[in-house]
Amino acid sequence: MFKSLTARAIIPVTISVTGFVIVCCILLYSIMKTDMTNDVIRYETNQAQTIVKSTRYAMRHDDRESLGNIINNIGTQEGVEHVRIFNKRGLIMFSSAPGEVGKLLDKNAAGCIECHRGPVPAATLGDMQQARRFFNEKGKDVIAITAPINNEPACYQAACHVHKAEQKILGTLDIGLSAAPLVNNLAVMRSRMVIFSVMVLLVTIGGVAALLRRYVFIPLKSLVDFTEKTIQGIDQEIPPGGTEIEKLSGNIRSVVRELNSIRRENAKWKKGE
Amino acid sequence: MEKGGVNRLEGERETPDFREKHDRLRRETLANIRKLQRKITIELLAAALFLLLSIAALSDFAFFPSFHENIRAVLGSPPSINMISSVLLLYVFSAILLILSRMMSGSGKYGGIGHVGYLAGFYFFYHFSGKLPENFWAVFAAGATVLGLEGYHLWIYCSEEIEMEREVLAFLDGRPAGQEDGEGNG
Repeated sequence: MFKSLTARAIIPVTISVTGFVIVCCILLYSIMKTDMTNDVIRYETNQAQTIVKSTRYAMRHDDRESLGNIINNIGTQEGVEHVRIFNKRGLIMFSSAPGEVGKLLDKNAAGCIECHRGPVPAATLGDMQQARRFFNEKGKDVIAITAPINNEPACYQAACHVHKAEQKILGTLDIGLSAAPLVNNLAVMRSRMVIFSVMVLLVTIGGVAALLRRYVFIPLKSLVDFTEKTIQGIDQEIPPGGTEIEKLSGNIRSVVRELNSIRRENAKWKKGE
Repeated sequence: MEKGGVNRLEGERETPDFREKHDRLRRETLANIRKLQRKITIELLAAALFLLLSIAALSDFAFFPSFHENIRAVLGSPPSINMISSVLLLYVFSAILLILSRMMSGSGKYGGIGHVGYLAGFYFFYHFSGKLPENFWAVFAAGATVLGLEGYHLWIYCSEEIEMEREVLAFLDGRPAGQEDGEGNG
């Protein structure tokens, strides 16, 4: 079966096209997944910066009530799983989950260890390094980011504050967004890519098979019929086909005609004897 | 063909020189058949090696001891994921074209073990970049495509060549072509 002309024409095309399309789709999906995840992290970083900037006034005036309200309101937004601000020691000062306030964070926990790996905690990290992905206690897939609240001249020069100029970081904002929209988008993209790949495969392999059948296999079959009938001595028209097939038919016909005339001559000679 | 083989008439005596050439040709034909069968076996071994490598890669080479930090520092930073993926795509594309061109020209050349080497390289580069789980199936599909296509090409090529060699054997033995010879199956 695998050695027939049809198989030899179709199998290499099928393997090549299927394999190449699958490899392309997997690589494309992987690249797009990374890009989309990076986009979510970038969006989250911007959101964290926006929150830090919008709470700056309340922080400078030590308006804890306003700060708490801002954090609570952001936490009620759809897709926001948690927002919290903790101080340098890891004590949670404000949180969208009121039960968390006053608790101490573990420095070895995901999201903290990245800065606290060495003896001196890192003051700066790239956006992607700050992001972490985990399942929270509700079992939701969360992408979280921590943004440092830096000590700025307006903070350490203010009369009401006690921060020293050498202190680089005053606290950290931790925000976690649900990864559900990203997961859904990736699932939709995956299914679309599968449908697209199957369509490409069907069109390519179907097209090649149809063209081969039309221009190679059918003319070959009619050529086989032609040779069989010509051998039997039935005179008929050369079957239509491509130039090569017609030429081959003509050659076979002249060979068979020659053979038949030799046979007739032989028969005459035998009768003469 | 006349009985007695190699177009010799029955009863005609064989000269020692003829017998020697006949035996040598027979031995060469059998050796060719064995060589062709070995080619298919090597290709199958390459596919088995790739499968074993893929099983190891599926678990991100977890059962191998990880490199020491110093060795990693000596190796330097791995290339970017996009670069590895682009090279993988280029490799699959060129390997498919190369095998298809070999099919077209009827060449019996093959590079099974070489391909396993290239694929192992991709697995290791992704592993050191920390992105093997995301890209494992891409390398696996690439390997399955290249080795599958090459295996099919080699199988068709060797089957045809073995068939021709068996016809030579049948001619030498004075048997009609297509009749099996126990030794020829070797």
